[in-house]
Amino acid sequence: MSGAPRLACINFPHLALSLAWRAHPELRGEAVLIGPRHRSGREVVLAASEAALARGARPGGEWRQAEIACPEAVQLPEDQTAISELRQEMRLVLQDLSPLVEWVDDTLAYLDVRGRDLRLPTEAALASQLGRSVQRLLLVPPRLGVGQSRFTAWVAAQTAGPGRIRLVPSGGAAQFLADWSVERLPLPDSTRERLRDFGLTTCGDCSSIPLPDLQRQFGPDGLLLHRLCLGRDRATVSPWRTPPPCGMRRVLAGPVEDTEALRFGAPELAGGLAVELAHRRLAAGRLRLLLGGGDPGGEFWEQLYPPAPVATEQELLPLVLNLISRVRRPVQVIELQALDLVPPPARQHRLWSVGGDHRDEIDRAVARLHERFGEGLVWRVAPRSGHPGDVPEERLVWNRG
Amino acid sequence: MRLEGLATGLSGLDDLTGCGGLPRGRLTWLSGELGQGWFDLGLAVLALLSRSLPVALVDFEGRVDPGDVCDYGGDLSNCWLVRPRHPEEGWAAARALCEAGVEICLMMSATWAPVGRAAPATLMGALETGRGVAVLSGGVTLPAEVTPRVALEVECRRLAWTRAHRDVSGLWLRLEVARSRMGAVGRGCRLRIALPRPYALQTGVVEAELWSAPSEELRLAASG
Repeated sequence: MSGAPRLACINFPHLALSLAWRAHPELRGEAVLIGPRHRSGREVVLAASEAALARGARPGGEWRQAEIACPEAVQLPEDQTAISELRQEMRLVLQDLSPLVEWVDDTLAYLDVRGRDLRLPTEAALASQLGRSVQRLLLVPPRLGVGQSRFTAWVAAQTAGPGRIRLVPSGGAAQFLADWSVERLPLPDSTRERLRDFGLTTCGDCSSIPLPDLQRQFGPDGLLLHRLCLGRDRATVSPWRTPPPCGMRRVLAGPVEDTEALRFGAPELAGGLAVELAHRRLAAGRLRLLLGGGDPGGEFWEQLYPPAPVATEQELLPLVLNLISRVRRPVQVIELQALDLVPPPARQHRLWSVGGDHRDEIDRAVARLHERFGEGLVWRVAPRSGHPGDVPEERLVWNRG
Repeated sequence: MRLEGLATGLSGLDDLTGCGGLPRGRLTWLSGELGQGWFDLGLAVLALLSRSLPVALVDFEGRVDPGDVCDYGGDLSNCWLVRPRHPEEGWAAARALCEAGVEICLMMSATWAPVGRAAPATLMGALETGRGVAVLSGGVTLPAEVTPRVALEVECRRLAWTRAHRDVSGLWLRLEVARSRMGAVGRGCRLRIALPRPYALQTGVVEAELWSAPSEELRLAASG
């Protein structure tokens, strides 16, 4: 499990616009204004298409001004119910790929992509899948950026074209941000103005200045500026939580570093999840382990796909142990989620067995052997359910013949 | 006479024998000293076949954990376990079970105790009747009464251990036909067995890596 933070920023057209394009595909490429929305006694623009933005309309700006700036724009009312439904759908799509999703607004979301999905082993594969999933839902290509901090990922997304992904390698943020204009840094206007006065126009200009000098000149903004320019700003997400469709969560008394201790608790997790799955009569096509270190932002995750849907404790336990074996840091919260739920596969072990006819004959032969040599020569064994020990006498049920 | 083989599903092993699997109605011997892999290979093959066929395991020395059959993905409901108190009991049970329709009878022992002339002879008769397979697993010598009846001897040699999570996760084996009535003496193959471990998703013989033993592992084996 990688320790370096990696965040994906996904930027997409406003959900209201996506809905409008779904209903009116002929409006793609046209100037479209969605609204007006009433805010503090004013009428403001909720969303504007690229063409409308180019003509001067601004989301959140006065509706009347947008009408004047863009008189030929098609005006559509917002459908709050449809937007809310699409938002929920979109969140679930994102959460399917990473359990740590921060929904910023209806155009932007961050995902923690540090975790490992065995089917999407590389960051690029995960990001591609993310882009494809969002495009499939919204029918418009999003912009995607992946970096070591929120700002780096956001800039990467802004510089990537629609339907493109930009990956900024860990440690390469400062170089990547060097040409980014300070005018577009999330800083107060006054600070940006002073930067202009100093002749500092890009992040590269600022990153070469020592931090004490920046702090002396700009106070707390100096520290923020330094971090932004080097890609060392906040690297965590405030995840949007929804109860998993089926899962088990355990909070430990304190952070546990010892994998052995976690393995000791694995049968309980697997058993609990098996009971829940049995109650719902479902099997899991994917398992995800979400681990929290106790501090905010200390969460990480792993997921794997069993060869066939799993439902019983015997099937779940090796997978849980496999997931736990990859833990490399202290853990306080452990959550096991069952995803891709399907009806459990039918188990007809002997459907194709050619030896079925001989079973009675073998049983008769065993009876004869017992008669001749005494009981205890031939045994039938079966796995014992529950949490048996490692000794064969404990983990198996032994029956004579 | 061309022998029919009971396919194990492991292409490396099946190709080796010259009859497409373990020879039916005959005695096969997986020979080797303790720790050379015959134990796990035998169990893995038994587990594989137990998924669709009735199988028996004669554990002469009481060292087999039948749970391993389960861990190798076998179906214990298709498996009869024999724990004889005397070697004669084991041979008699093998004969009775093969006669009754068990398709493969795995007999495991690191050292083979002498048996009477009748025991292997009756087992051979049962095998020919039931068309099953008997596999003797382990040991470098067999009782004098058994040796001439072996149709196929496959020598097991451990090349290297594989390691994961600071644990022994499996082993590389070299199989070589030491004696065969079907020809092909000297043919060999290399395969890897993934031992049942809590972190292992796949156990048993891993054929995908049949010819790709990591060179450093082989170096380790050579130096060790």
